[in-house]
Amino acid sequence: MIKQADGVSLSSVITPETVVFLDGPLSKEEAVLRLTEAMLPQVKDIIGRKALFDRVAEVEKLNQVLESGFYIPHAKFPELHNFFAVLGVFPEGFTDPATGLKVRAALLLLSPHKPAYFQLHLNMLCRLSQTFQPELIEKLAALRDPAAVAALLKGK
Amino acid sequence: MVPSHPKLKQVFVLSTAMLSFISFWKAASVVLCDFGSSAYYAGGIAMRAFGPAFPWFVMGVMLFSGLMLAVYTESCIMFVRGGVYVVVREAMGKVMAKFSVSALVFDYALTGPISSVTAGLYLGGLLSNILPLLHINWHVPDRAFAVVFAVLVTAYFWRANIRGVEESADDNLKIISFVAVVAVLLLGWSGLTLYQRGFTLPPFTPVFSEEALGWTVHFPWLKAVGLIGIVMAFGHSILALSGLETLAQVYREIEDPKVQNLKKAVVLIFIFSVLFTGLLTFISALIIPADLVAGKYAENLLSGLALELNGPYWGRLGMQVLVVLSGTLMLVGAVNTSFVGANGVLNRVAEDGILHDWFRHLHKKFGTTHRIVNIIAVIQVLIILASGGDIFLLGEAYAFGVLASMSFNVMSVVILRFKRMEEEREWMFPFNLRFGNVHFPVGLLLVLVVLLSVTFMNLLTKKIATIGGLIFTAVFYGIFYVSEKLNEKKAQLYTPDDDNDEKLNLRREADILNVVPELTKDRRILVPVRNPNNLVHLAAVLETADDDTTDIIVLSAKIAKGIQSGGETMSDEDKEVFSAVVLLAEKYGKTVKPIFVFSNDPFHSMAQVAQAAGVDEIVMGVSGSTGAEVQLEHLAMAWGMAKKPDAPVKPVLAKVVWQGRQMTFQLS
Repeated sequence: MIKQADGVSLSSVITPETVVFLDGPLSKEEAVLRLTEAMLPQVKDIIGRKALFDRVAEVEKLNQVLESGFYIPHAKFPELHNFFAVLGVFPEGFTDPATGLKVRAALLLLSPHKPAYFQLHLNMLCRLSQTFQPELIEKLAALRDPAAVAALLKGK
Repeated sequence: MVPSHPKLKQVFVLSTAMLSFISFWKAASVVLCDFGSSAYYAGGIAMRAFGPAFPWFVMGVMLFSGLMLAVYTESCIMFVRGGVYVVVREAMGKVMAKFSVSALVFDYALTGPISSVTAGLYLGGLLSNILPLLHINWHVPDRAFAVVFAVLVTAYFWRANIRGVEESADDNLKIISFVAVVAVLLLGWSGLTLYQRGFTLPPFTPVFSEEALGWTVHFPWLKAVGLIGIVMAFGHSILALSGLETLAQVYREIEDPKVQNLKKAVVLIFIFSVLFTGLLTFISALIIPADLVAGKYAENLLSGLALELNGPYWGRLGMQVLVVLSGTLMLVGAVNTSFVGANGVLNRVAEDGILHDWFRHLHKKFGTTHRIVNIIAVIQVLIILASGGDIFLLGEAYAFGVLASMSFNVMSVVILRFKRMEEEREWMFPFNLRFGNVHFPVGLLLVLVVLLSVTFMNLLTKKIATIGGLIFTAVFYGIFYVSEKLNEKKAQLYTPDDDNDEKLNLRREADILNVVPELTKDRRILVPVRNPNNLVHLAAVLETADDDTTDIIVLSAKIAKGIQSGGETMSDEDKEVFSAVVLLAEKYGKTVKPIFVFSNDPFHSMAQVAQAAGVDEIVMGVSGSTGAEVQLEHLAMAWGMAKKPDAPVKPVLAKVVWQGRQMTFQLS
């Protein structure tokens, strides 16, 4: 969980608990579903399961994989007052059907749907896309330990 | 494999002559090179037609030019890319518009010959004075020399226009500045001469030559006296009023604030015309004996003024040199204006599908509409040869188109007051009675009455103008009519032709960084565009940005997936976007830097261009498919991805603008 006062520090959102390794061949939709499943424990007291999956699936159509091979599915919920994230690492990767890009890391971001948070939401997206460059993603994919991932991202 | 970053596969910088804007000084000078050049021949021609009363009427025409300039100001404000064709088409339909343009082209066809022959006559007159001093015993045959000179000048500008040499407003300003200095010297010296000699005002009553009465001799009731005589004399002097169409053509190039600058240009043109054409012609009549005006100096009146001043001969000869030099520059400039003007007007009607594509065929090497230029050149040379250097014959033929186009224009502005009564105008011709939304144009109607009276009278008195003008107008109308029918058939057989595009010059650049040094102003705003019908955001930027301190970069990114091929080209849709951008920039008179890129991702291309150019703002239009928030999210992600790890990037405001609303956030 990112508190607004935390600004856009990634280390506050990417902890060993919010990093998942997703093995096996996956489609993009399956990958997003798995990330949403992993997100659920963080927000289950605020957002219902169906509402979460429906909203993520809805906005996922508007999201696009960045050319760096990093994917940031993101959705905004009026019920939220904080930011929530799950980082998925895909050692085998999956292919984005729209662009043909190979995705080996993706971060599902849930943000508060309130005007006051939108600037922070943009900052977050900006910081994520700046941080997750191809070299870093290669390194992440080679790791097998969520704690090691969180450590690598510390200070970013 | 590490995926590569998206790249701008190809960067094109677009340029068109219409994306640089000029000050009101330059705009006025462009018009005056045409409008003011009549000072060198109008007086002599009017004198031949109705005798010593001519200065009153030339001055009267120049004062009347103030009213006409005001009418054109209103029509220019309504149509940035106007001119008589567009104004008449909007008010009275295509048929009348075709008539007005046909008549106008007749005058363009005569402007070249009358200007070049006059320049030749002035030069010939000067050589007649200078050669004996150099002990060269050669009598210059004035008219033959004028014909040869006029043909050479026409050939020069034919070649220049085939090669596509643009008229330079800078050159026009230099010419007019020089002419103004000569005019001040001439006025000062004339004032001194009048002070020393005293003067008698010329008679006001016109005395018409048999030729100047034309067909009116067959109508005993139409006596050339009283008001009818005044109208007749006015009609014989109205050729001093050529060049207003140039104002309409140059308006699109005037810089921001466009309307205020137009008004300033119009005031300058008016003052210059009254002092230069009106006052100098008047003073000529006060200083030069009437027999010399009618004889020796009839074809080069202002040379005569210089030579008849009080002072030593060498001084007067020096003044004549200055007069001839300034006159030649101005008159020769008017020849070029006749080529550019006729070509421009015919291209404008061609864009409307009433001139066959054959005429618009582009020169293989220079990309100019060479067939139109060839036709103008051939017509002008034939007119020069047929005239035999007789300026009075040319003057007799002139003014048919001037009057016709002015009458059509005034009539159209009157009609548009009713047809477009809801339209807010930044300025309108004065003397109106207001009834609800309608500003009943009393002033315009009075001007129209004067014009129609003079037009009617000229039809009777100026035989050559009437016959020549009607034949020429009928021929051109026929060409337009047939062309339109052929184009209609063609349109049914094919998809719309691509000739209707703005002429956009593309310059390919290897890297966006190569374009950055061309951005020289303190602030920079990036305006991405995609849809020619959704440029509200660009309009908002153009409305508020200070052109002196802000570079406006207009970016169109086209998605080109896959490996860089290097062979992408702009499609018609892409050109349509930039044509709309150019039109909007013209409307506000502000310079934009249009850049067209092929990219894997439009948002990334925005971010790359913005960061490379160090912009202060990115202003987007709202997307109907995704909405403003999603656009900003995509931009934020692209912004982060494009950022180089250690390179400092200044915070940038990102805006999404749509009708009456905007969202503003910061990218850091």
